[in-house]
Amino acid sequence: MMEQVLAAISSHITTLGPSVVLPILITLFGLGLGLSFSRAFRAGITIGIGFIGINLVIGLLGEQVAPAAQAMATNFGVKLSVVDVGWPSSAAIAFGSTIGAVIIPVGLVVNIVLLLTGLTRTLDIDLWNYWHSALIGALVAAITGNFWLGLMCAGIHLAVILSMADITAPVAQKYFKLPDISFPHGTSAPYGILAMPLNWLFDRIPGFNKLDATPEAIQKRFGIFGETLMLGLILGLLIGVLAFPFRDPAKDVAAILTLAISLAAAMFLLPRMVAILMEGLLPISEAARKFVQKRFPGRQFYIGLDSAVAVGQPSVIATSLILVPVTLLLAVALAPLGNQVLPLVDLATIPFIVAVMVAVFRGNIVRSVLGGAIMIGFGLFIATWIAPAFTQVAVSSGFKLGEGQTVISSLVDGANPMTGLFMGAAALGTPGVLVLAVLCVAFVVGTKVLLDRRARSQLAAQTDAADDATVG
Amino acid sequence: MKRVLIICGTGIATSTVVASKVRDHLQEVGLQASVDQGKVMDLLRGDIEADLIVATTDVPDTVKVPVVRAIALLTGFGEDEVYRQIDSHLS
Repeated sequence: MMEQVLAAISSHITTLGPSVVLPILITLFGLGLGLSFSRAFRAGITIGIGFIGINLVIGLLGEQVAPAAQAMATNFGVKLSVVDVGWPSSAAIAFGSTIGAVIIPVGLVVNIVLLLTGLTRTLDIDLWNYWHSALIGALVAAITGNFWLGLMCAGIHLAVILSMADITAPVAQKYFKLPDISFPHGTSAPYGILAMPLNWLFDRIPGFNKLDATPEAIQKRFGIFGETLMLGLILGLLIGVLAFPFRDPAKDVAAILTLAISLAAAMFLLPRMVAILMEGLLPISEAARKFVQKRFPGRQFYIGLDSAVAVGQPSVIATSLILVPVTLLLAVALAPLGNQVLPLVDLATIPFIVAVMVAVFRGNIVRSVLGGAIMIGFGLFIATWIAPAFTQVAVSSGFKLGEGQTVISSLVDGANPMTGLFMGAAALGTPGVLVLAVLCVAFVVGTKVLLDRRARSQLAAQTDAADDATVG
Repeated sequence: MKRVLIICGTGIATSTVVASKVRDHLQEVGLQASVDQGKVMDLLRGDIEADLIVATTDVPDTVKVPVVRAIALLTGFGEDEVYRQIDSHLS
């Protein structure tokens, strides 16, 4: 019965598209959380508008950039034909999927259950970033053809991310000077965890373990890579010159300039469109935050925030700026080995890849750049590998990809190790997904046991010290 | 009219939350000011057109405009203090 209802909803989502369905769903959520009808309805409509805006800009990327990327591939044999549509599109695709339609209540329930059972200690008040889990769920559902497996993966992904936030919380709190905060952010958290063994390794490389750099000089020299507008323009010119190599000068110059301004427009507009989406989600997320915080008064939790609050830290900025050209070079250098992703929109999202890593590396820029480059290098293969499924989910979420065979992917979270893990399991079918699910639950429980033990021994050490002090 | 610039990592995510709260607050207390959003990378360029920056993240040391840290508006703990600081800069 339930399945039939959901199947019906899902087929309506496909025909109507998220720009129609989500306003209705969001209005209902809003009413359920106690918002007035006019606020809830306004929130819903705003989200619908955001979807239409994102769709328009993705269309621009598909029409302008995809053919140029293909022309570049034919001209030079550099096969970077998978267009990186970036996190704004990824988030919209995720929220527009069938999993995305139910992720907010499901995510809240998962978080509350984890808090009540004491398995994790982060209360994620940043509902927007549920999209990371929805994307995982939607991809798994697309591969396995099973909505329930997808939904389970979304829930389990969220649990793992919350657990990872607990692990990195002490380091992040200390480094960013943000007491009681953690970062249950689908992009930043897994990279932060992977940075831990890397940091251990870096410590043991003689010579290298002494290297560092100062952020100020880098900010000045690489500042241009932080300006989305200029970056888009320059990239567009570059791709244009490679794609239209002056066989017909008059026509090609026009094509190159059009591509440059179009890519600048797409990279500039996509985040603006997502801001509209966010604005719509805001009343819902505020209402949900108050709803949960009211029900857990006086309990000590980490407050889970978007890692956007860490991005301004000078070492994060410096690392990200250097990684922009490094990522482009990696994409070209790894093309013969099978990378097909042309990094574009997510060049502006690199700060989120490195945010927690930088804290783990204690702000060491040399380590952060190297660590980031390793993660992104591997990530390009993941993003290439999942591109067909990503494209399929985008199309079934109602996004129009322009004429021809445009294949899309993204660095955030297409290149994420968690995405690779869940997609790898999904490729093995239901047994693979179930095994991964068990491993994830084991990870969450194991983390709790370890963190509890660490907290106890710290407490014991403190009491000992206090005892010594009294005795002395 | 005074200009408030809300800054976060993307100019989208947390700054949308803060911008909307600051707008509501200014309307409530009857202070006239324009509220815009931006990302921290934009501040590297130097020419900042604002009288006050309200930020959820660190801003570069080179910024000479007064800065109010607004994480409290995200967590919900200590919001009044942030509003008080914003008011004192704008009035």
